[in-house]
Amino acid sequence: MSSSSGRREPAPALAGAGGAPPEGPAGGAEAAGRRSRLGRVADAPGLRRILWLLPGSAWLIFFLLAPVLFIILVSFWTRTISGFDEVWTLDNYRALFDSNVYWSQLWSSFWHSLVVVAASLVLGFPVAYFLAISVTSLRNQIALFIIALAPFWTSYLIRAVAWVPMMGREGALNTILQKLRLIDQPLDILLFSDFAVTLAMLQLYILFMVAPIFFMLAQIDRSSLEAARDLGANSFQSFREVILPQSMPGIVIGSIFVFVLTMGEFGTVRIIGGGQVSSVGTIVSNQVVSVQFPQAAASAVFLVLAMMVGVFLLLRVSNLREEL
Amino acid sequence: MAEPIVEAHREGAAAPSQIQRGSGLELRSLTKLFSGHHGERVVAVDDVNLTIDHGEYVVLLGPSGCGKTTTLRMIGGHEEPSSGEMILDGESLLGLPPEKRPTTTVFQHFALFPHKNVLDNVEFGPKMHGVGKEARRRKAEEALEMVGLTEFADRKPAALSGGQQQRVALARVLVMEPKALLLDEPLGDLDRLLRLRMRVELRNLQRQLGLMFIHVTHDQEEALSVADRIVVMHEGRIAQVGDPLTISTRPENEIVARFMGDNNIFRGNVVAREGDRLVIDAGRLKVAARAPAGFEPGSEAAASVRAAGLRVDQERGSGDGINELECEVEFVEYLGDLVKLHLRLDENVFVAKVPGDEYAMLRGREGSTVRISWQEADVQLLRP
Repeated sequence: MSSSSGRREPAPALAGAGGAPPEGPAGGAEAAGRRSRLGRVADAPGLRRILWLLPGSAWLIFFLLAPVLFIILVSFWTRTISGFDEVWTLDNYRALFDSNVYWSQLWSSFWHSLVVVAASLVLGFPVAYFLAISVTSLRNQIALFIIALAPFWTSYLIRAVAWVPMMGREGALNTILQKLRLIDQPLDILLFSDFAVTLAMLQLYILFMVAPIFFMLAQIDRSSLEAARDLGANSFQSFREVILPQSMPGIVIGSIFVFVLTMGEFGTVRIIGGGQVSSVGTIVSNQVVSVQFPQAAASAVFLVLAMMVGVFLLLRVSNLREEL
Repeated sequence: MAEPIVEAHREGAAAPSQIQRGSGLELRSLTKLFSGHHGERVVAVDDVNLTIDHGEYVVLLGPSGCGKTTTLRMIGGHEEPSSGEMILDGESLLGLPPEKRPTTTVFQHFALFPHKNVLDNVEFGPKMHGVGKEARRRKAEEALEMVGLTEFADRKPAALSGGQQQRVALARVLVMEPKALLLDEPLGDLDRLLRLRMRVELRNLQRQLGLMFIHVTHDQEEALSVADRIVVMHEGRIAQVGDPLTISTRPENEIVARFMGDNNIFRGNVVAREGDRLVIDAGRLKVAARAPAGFEPGSEAAASVRAAGLRVDQERGSGDGINELECEVEFVEYLGDLVKLHLRLDENVFVAKVPGDEYAMLRGREGSTVRISWQEADVQLLRP
């Protein structure tokens, strides 16, 4: 082709003279429109905004902030036989710091929660990936996601209780394994053990990991995956460079969900642990049951602090504000 | 081409093979079948044969569903052909995954990595190919300079305008120094004014780099503006290949004549032939055209005349009723540089494009009768 044979212009082609004011006129107008709309909202009399904020803030104040403040207050009050007196004391905290059981339990709950977080990430990510990336039709995606959510259709308590006939000494799993002659003696580890509690929590809470990761992965532009391949990335590289970073906010949010939910657990621990296993949650719950409210409050305060430390550490992994 | 080979022999093994240009891209009987919703076979691309040279700007043009994008995706390795062969510089592309092909694609919606800044986006390709940190940064900076985005290197794509994102997408593939650049509706996401400017810049860039560009679009004007050669596609097949002037003024068949727009198509029977001139009787009018062979009297024929070939005559023409007609003005459409006349003769409609300065004379002429005529040389016989 004659027209293409080496007619070389000195100027860089795309930065050529008059070539490139950065934004088209339409783009500029659009941006200006957006700005003025935002401006109007900001300048508007606050009444409308206050009305919108009201339900949420009322909820947070009455059901989160007030109880937490009250717990902190109670933790400094004096215990009586039927509850507490409004007499300031540090005895509850003194008792707490003297209790080795509490601290070893706090540490082991913290540790177990992290194990559940890691396991639910390892097992949950492939599920989310399959749903969001491998399944291409939106209809199948939604259908499979609803099926994945099926455990939520039953009560959490029923799911926990169902573990007993499944995993007990005489339970279904042990019977099957024995019939298949894979084991001689029933496995005791499947129920009333640390392992069983961890496994049960994993089963109960893994969906809180799958869902946010699924939503992040589903937003990934498929053509950006094609572009990665086109630019020379193999499957592993395009996973590491394109898919994983973009699913990071989902991983962090899912981890926070699972961590906070398992850290405070006591129901599952009771049922699956069968009194053999305890957690910070069961300690607090036992203290409440025996009407030691100030002591329970002090224990709870440190549980909340431990959770905050965990959430803070998880947030450090990813800059959510920038990546969402 | 023989000389450099001799040179290389004389100097021993130091033949700079990349600098020597290969034979280009050849598509042979390329075919793609998809299975439809009910299991039936849908032919997306049907026996496409095409050769594209290095340094050539080729546009695949056609309506949506004509197979142009599927063809491009097969070249890029994002679809596997059902049958046929693709050869780039003597080597088959079949079976090579996209990351192993010496082609790169600019995707329709840019497909930038939203979590990486501009510089990291551009560095991505070299990084995947194991280019060291320093070297790939330098290459990326060069590419950004080429598209005029040096100062935006730290921004995330979301903080850029559509035109800037387009430039990043270009820099990201140019840094790969591909043998062929594949562009899938590259200007489709831009607003009109930006599109008009970017297509000129694309063309300039291609000339400057001397690279093979294969560009897919449904926009006729865009194709005419950038291409060395236009490949008009229709229902999976190539309807015509030609330079923009040929495609615009000499459509070979009715498909191309209709798709390029503003062509008046006449059909009828050949009633007379004198040497290489034949006359078609199209009902209320007669069309005369040059035809080297074929089209015996009595056979059916179709011809097209560009809207710009039609003139409005002030006085009577030759009067023999050939290549002229009287018709009613339905609508006078003023388009600035030109006036588009929508004309009707019975159930036949025609369009004529006349210079914009004739608007003063034509304004408000709706409902009146005008006489139009055209040159015999402007009549293009169409293959069925």
